[in-house]
Amino acid sequence: MADEGWERELAELRERQRAAEAMGGAEKVAIQVAKGKLTVRERIAELLDPDSFREIGSIAGSGRYAADGSLAGFTPSNLLFGRGRIAGRPVVVSGDDFTVRGGAADAAIHEKLVQAEQMANELRLPLIRLLDGTGGGGSVRTLETSGYTYVPALPGWDWTVANLATVPVVALGLGPVAGLGAARLVSSHYSVLHRTNGQMFAAGPAVVAALGQVVTKEALGAAAMHAGTGAVDDLAEDEADAFDKARRFLSYLPSSVHALPERVPTTDSPERRDPALDHAIPRDRRQVYRMRRILESVLDLGSFFETGRHWGRSAITGLARLDGWPVAVMASDPTHYGGAWTADTAQKLVRFVELAETFHLPVVHFVDIPGVLVGVKAEQAGTIRHAARALASVFQATVPWCSVIVRKAFGVAGAGMANHTRFRYRCAWPSGDWGSLPVEGGLEAAYKAELQAASDPAALRRKIEERLNRARSPFRTAEQFLVEEIIAPRDTRPFLCEFAQLAAPLRRAGTSAFGLRP
Amino acid sequence: MTSEVVRSTMVGSVWRVDVTPGQAVAADERLLALEVMKMEIPVEAPRAGRVVAVHVAQGQLVEEGQPLVTLGM
Repeated sequence: MADEGWERELAELRERQRAAEAMGGAEKVAIQVAKGKLTVRERIAELLDPDSFREIGSIAGSGRYAADGSLAGFTPSNLLFGRGRIAGRPVVVSGDDFTVRGGAADAAIHEKLVQAEQMANELRLPLIRLLDGTGGGGSVRTLETSGYTYVPALPGWDWTVANLATVPVVALGLGPVAGLGAARLVSSHYSVLHRTNGQMFAAGPAVVAALGQVVTKEALGAAAMHAGTGAVDDLAEDEADAFDKARRFLSYLPSSVHALPERVPTTDSPERRDPALDHAIPRDRRQVYRMRRILESVLDLGSFFETGRHWGRSAITGLARLDGWPVAVMASDPTHYGGAWTADTAQKLVRFVELAETFHLPVVHFVDIPGVLVGVKAEQAGTIRHAARALASVFQATVPWCSVIVRKAFGVAGAGMANHTRFRYRCAWPSGDWGSLPVEGGLEAAYKAELQAASDPAALRRKIEERLNRARSPFRTAEQFLVEEIIAPRDTRPFLCEFAQLAAPLRRAGTSAFGLRP
Repeated sequence: MTSEVVRSTMVGSVWRVDVTPGQAVAADERLLALEVMKMEIPVEAPRAGRVVAVHVAQGQLVEEGQPLVTLGM
């Protein structure tokens, strides 16, 4: 007699999967779409290579059963995860489904969240979190429904923390994220908030209203505000932009710390020289210039991917390629505090150096640092401790490091352009200007007595300044071999491409001595 | 008419004011320059518009977030 096989069960499996694919139901999905948002399943499909998503836990959720034991209804878990591919490379993706209980974690089935994080860690795959949810616990109403309360815990958080030292983690805030969702957004190597649909807060407007602060979601946790404070790294103009940014960020990194960033073929010659660079820095030391234009000229064309543009703005950070090799780029921006290290600039540098160290990216630093920011406000911000923290990461870094002194290098922060006790792979442009304190700022203090005694202090000041400026020539420094080499700015690209080639075999896969903290 | 307040992103002093109320400005045109860390740092129009008000004068100290110029679009 022919066995009837498992057709009935396979039909039920398909039926359950179809029910899960309906997410929170037509009505809730329509609300999601009306907000200009994609559903979690559309997001996953758009992020990944076509048809590459393999869901795990596809029928997890809560079923309702009829008296005869047949399935009468089903609400899927609002956390989806699985594996897929980006540019052919396997990744893990997890996504909140806002259409089920507003993405609240109490409907997520915690073990799925834990497994997503653990899977990325143990399979050594990049993790992308698509966040759109209201947070961790339920409302205080659960006190009545459960009849007890609990000491809070963070499911899977040991994996979440371990992942920061193991695999690239990208988090995209595509809707409002609160509480646990917010913590999951910022516990990443690269976090992005959707400019209009994304807001982030420890607790939303309803909770804050209990403190007497009546505010909108936007006033409380606007994406632009968080990009400015550095709570997140970037803004996305729309969901497609967020997915592009995620894919681009990952393209520079290995799949885990146990591998090295890969070179890609490039048509941009390492010998390309841009004569315009010889005119990039104004002779007048008071005048600023556009550092980003310099970066775009020197690095492989179109390869610079800036991260954290809106915060810590005295420093520009980003990933790029030199002769096809991925590198971490740090550069000063003279249009913000002259490139001086502010407290948040120092925090940004810590985060960036830790990223470079974790994923074995050689660092290229374009230096124009007049020092740690000085002044009353800077002291009130505790700037020096943040600057010292940046120095500590620079000095602890073991990845190959190269500095190009474009203009200024003064004081503690200028000295912190690199760990100068390592071999100094470094060059300077003829516009180089360095020392403990710039003449402009230090003259009055150093010649106080003479200036006070002078009949014409202004004339004496000019005379002293002239004398000092004569000794300020970078050639006198190079003559003493206190700077290694002065080069024509146009030769910077060949210089750095050679660095990238020499650095490549020095990179070591494995866990770094210090990991990244959010 | 919508207006936009251009604020200082730095602590510094006003080195020079380049625009006057009523003047039309192009996107990225310099509105004024701040003196910060002994450098002249331009503050540019975020987009094209007309200067509605200038809130600061040459030599004045400014804080982060302080309004500098109001632009009408």
